[in-house]
Amino acid sequence: MNAAIRLPAEQVYASELQALARDDDRQKPAGWSLSPKAVLTYLMGGKASDGTLITPKYVGRRQLMETAVATLATDRALLLLGVPGTAKSWVSEHLAGAIMGNSTLIVQCTAGTDENQIRYGWNYAQLLAKGPSQEALVPTPLYRAMQEGKLCRLEELTRMGSDVQDTLITVLSEKMMPVPELNTSIYAQRGFNIIATANNRDKGVNELSSALKRRFNVVVLPLPGDMAEEVSIVSRRVGEMAGGLDLPVPKNVGEEIARVLTIFRELRSGATADGKVTLKTPSGSLSTAEAIATMISGLSQAAWFDGGKLHAEGLAPSLVGAIVKDPVQDKVVLEEYLETVLKKRPDYAGYYAALNAAI
Amino acid sequence: MTQGGISYFGIRHHGPGSAASLVEALQELRPAAVLIEGPVDASPLLPLLASPDMKPPVALLCYPEDDPAATRFWPFAEFSPEYQAALWAVANKAALRFIDLPSAARLADQGPEGSTDADADEPEATEEQGEVSSRILDPIGTLARAAGYEDGESWWSDIIEQNPAPGPIFAAIADAMTTLRDGETAIGKFEAMREAHMRLEIAAARKEIYGPLAVVCGAWHVPALQAAHTQKSDQALLKGIGRRKTTMTFAPWTGPRLALGYGYGAGVVAPGWCKHLWQTRGQDDASVLWLARIASVLRAKGHMISTASLIEAERLARALAALRERPKPGFEELREASIAALFNGEALLWKMVEAELLLGADVGEIPADTPLAPLIDDLQRNQKAARLKPEALERELSLDLRSESGLFRSTLLHRLNVLGVNWGRLTDVGRSRGTFRERWMLAWQPEYAVRLVENLIYGPTIEKAANGRLVQMIGAASTLDALATLVQSAITAALSEASAAGLAALEEKAAHSSECQELLASVPPLADIIRYGEARTTETQRLAGLLERLVIEGAIALPYAARDLDAQAAAALMAALRKADEAIKLVEPDEHVLDAWRNGLAAVLDSSRSTALVAGCAAHLLYEAGHLSAEATADLLAKRLSPGTPVIDAAAFFEGFFSGAGQRLIYDEGLRGAVDAWLASLDEEAFVAHLPLLRRVFSNLDSMERRRLIEAVLGRRASLPAGLTPAPDGGEAWRRHFGLLGKLLTGEPSHG
Repeated sequence: MNAAIRLPAEQVYASELQALARDDDRQKPAGWSLSPKAVLTYLMGGKASDGTLITPKYVGRRQLMETAVATLATDRALLLLGVPGTAKSWVSEHLAGAIMGNSTLIVQCTAGTDENQIRYGWNYAQLLAKGPSQEALVPTPLYRAMQEGKLCRLEELTRMGSDVQDTLITVLSEKMMPVPELNTSIYAQRGFNIIATANNRDKGVNELSSALKRRFNVVVLPLPGDMAEEVSIVSRRVGEMAGGLDLPVPKNVGEEIARVLTIFRELRSGATADGKVTLKTPSGSLSTAEAIATMISGLSQAAWFDGGKLHAEGLAPSLVGAIVKDPVQDKVVLEEYLETVLKKRPDYAGYYAALNAAI
Repeated sequence: MTQGGISYFGIRHHGPGSAASLVEALQELRPAAVLIEGPVDASPLLPLLASPDMKPPVALLCYPEDDPAATRFWPFAEFSPEYQAALWAVANKAALRFIDLPSAARLADQGPEGSTDADADEPEATEEQGEVSSRILDPIGTLARAAGYEDGESWWSDIIEQNPAPGPIFAAIADAMTTLRDGETAIGKFEAMREAHMRLEIAAARKEIYGPLAVVCGAWHVPALQAAHTQKSDQALLKGIGRRKTTMTFAPWTGPRLALGYGYGAGVVAPGWCKHLWQTRGQDDASVLWLARIASVLRAKGHMISTASLIEAERLARALAALRERPKPGFEELREASIAALFNGEALLWKMVEAELLLGADVGEIPADTPLAPLIDDLQRNQKAARLKPEALERELSLDLRSESGLFRSTLLHRLNVLGVNWGRLTDVGRSRGTFRERWMLAWQPEYAVRLVENLIYGPTIEKAANGRLVQMIGAASTLDALATLVQSAITAALSEASAAGLAALEEKAAHSSECQELLASVPPLADIIRYGEARTTETQRLAGLLERLVIEGAIALPYAARDLDAQAAAALMAALRKADEAIKLVEPDEHVLDAWRNGLAAVLDSSRSTALVAGCAAHLLYEAGHLSAEATADLLAKRLSPGTPVIDAAAFFEGFFSGAGQRLIYDEGLRGAVDAWLASLDEEAFVAHLPLLRRVFSNLDSMERRRLIEAVLGRRASLPAGLTPAPDGGEAWRRHFGLLGKLLTGEPSHG
């Protein structure tokens, strides 16, 4: 029995992948274990030829996944862009799992990631003993993916420094990586490719240089398009997280989620839900993930300080925190929203008062 | 598909694919006559289509003589199979005819209030038959959608044109239509009449003309036209079709109006794409050329698109087509590939270039000898109704807007002005709005007729054309105040569509503008419209809502805008603030709006970072509105002008408070008392330090006002301090100084 909290996609969905592979006689790009069409079925759901039900992994527009799969089939690198909580990493993991049967060649990029973690590192004991040699070289996931013709995943590409990002340029355009210390280079084997994920609207990221950006086909994963879908995502996550944190969930949480999400969605989309009034949008992304965080902090406030009652006053501070990222610009946006929209809605009176007080 | 020497070509209206196949098929068949689905009574106009001066897109238009608003259009684009068939027939000297019901029948069917440019080819589009009508309108598009294509043209080329010989293409289409129609219940009466009429016309042509005949009609009709019907039953069907006298002509058309979005039912989704397909027909690199077009539009907008990215986009499009199991990349594949490879995944960027790419900006041209245009007709009718004759000599006309005829004449003149036909010129330009009288100077110039015809692309009647033209100008306007002015002219000319579009644009702009100056500047013209709107019967509620919003937004933005300004910016903001305040007072909005406005002013006053000039102005406006009592104002002035404040700030505050309001001191006892008390409290040194500041404010008053001010100040005192006499003109001392100055200036020695 495996005690791991979470297994990689290709193990969790091994039976679906096997079912799809069984009668997959379409042409496969070099190194792929499934044909592009079968990969698409795996992502979007459907039926394998033997009748095995394939669960949908991505809920959203099919064209986006088609573009993603077609991109990888052309040996061009894929960049999945989107605000947090839009299933970028999830899609990347499933793509690698379905195409290669291996989603574990992964580099988590951070501000502290340096070139040694992207290209190759050195085993210093060996290096001191023998000097630069193949044995002293420590391969990275990218290095191994090139050697073995596999897919390498780069998570949060924009979080690492621009100079480090740019080491990828040669890898992507010439499909090779020079190792000047050994006076050699490694050449990527057929099947090698990169799936990168990145935030397009976040603070503390390093814009991709246009030279690098040009080497990716970009697919932007959107936020949930429809209110009901987003409410259900938030309710489910809030329920799970509250359970994990041992927070009691009051009865009115559903209504408050709907109200908070309405505020989020209206500000995010720059128009009221009825489409009658256009609004300014704040500088933050107001993602689904932030809505979840807002609700959790409201619940925690309710549980520890407000006798278990969830109300606007408890939610207002974290709402303001989520909306006002820029102290001047966003404040004007919120003030305007309060005065022109919320003030006129009787069922938001609590929010109007609490937000006004919290600004 | 050929029966008794008659070949039936079922085409897709405005389908470049079918146009190309049709031309090939005609070339092969060499028919003696080409019969086209279109109003039979317009046949004499058809050869005009092939005139070298005729540049599509153009539209054939028919309207009842007494009612041009009911005009119906039959547009032709370069890629319309009907247009290509007409060109072929004229070039090859084949007979050329329309065979559909006469235009009169259609007009009678619709009635004068029918939708005008809704759809020309198939009236069902406007009726509530949704699904069925789309099948009749664009059966090929329906088949394509069923096959999972967004774009019917890609389906046509993938499925139909894989067939190498041109002839069988149309046989295949006829087969498909027969199957499609088999599943259909009885067609509408009007459709049945049209098909009966076409059958009779084809039979008549058969009798008259020797040689092969080519019938070009919407694919949907082919099976019905081929089916055997007795002439008798067809004639019976046609009994009693409407007759109404109609006028016909050609008019220039535009690319965007060919599109579905503009309400033309048998139109195409993307005229730009169709034109591209037509121009690159038979070429292998059509998809590359389309990508290059996308890139050039993007580059024109300032985006950097490299050739390498284009190559990648093309590769991705091919991979996508393979994934979707299509023989070559179509419209959707190219779109998605360019989003991923050229637009960095931003679908929004695609939306930006979409209109330009897909609608195109083509404007057609018509030959000079085209029959009279409906706009001129409409003008003549309106002139008759308004009892105004076009005269070249100038004539003055005074209109009372309260009378119906006065309003009618004024509206007509305003609308013509919108169209660039300045027949009438308002003489009292700086008139106070809200009056009911307008004075015009009338003078007709011959070139106005030409200018009027140029406006035909906007609509067939003066009202519609003026609407269309204003809507376009509104779309192009970039600032709030320019928009407000356009909305004003739309409302003055009683153009409801344009005013609605203008208001929507204003609302949108207002939401996105955070430029306080701009927000404030847009308030006075809108307030003007609201007040003026009462003299005319227009809906002002929406405007009032918008104004409210602008005021609130302006009030919120004000405290931030008033921070740390230099002298010039502060003066500009103060001027805008005073004007906006005046307008707000005149409109008398709801209490909560006024509250918001005053809160904004108060926030400016309270913030320590506000520029002193603007703060002074805000204080004055609040005082005027009764929100600052005289005592509070006195305290405020004393505080703001106290010695701790840098003199330059104090001066600015004082100036902001009193600029243009110095006379207040004469009439307003409370305020005067406050200033007086403050002045009296100053010790001598401080008083002297403040003198330049006081001088600046009082220099705005003329000598009469100054005298009255002094009288007002001193009149209350029982006596003057000993030895002082009020001398408003400086008295003797000044004359003495002046004498001395004169001597100095002329160089005379003053003291021996």
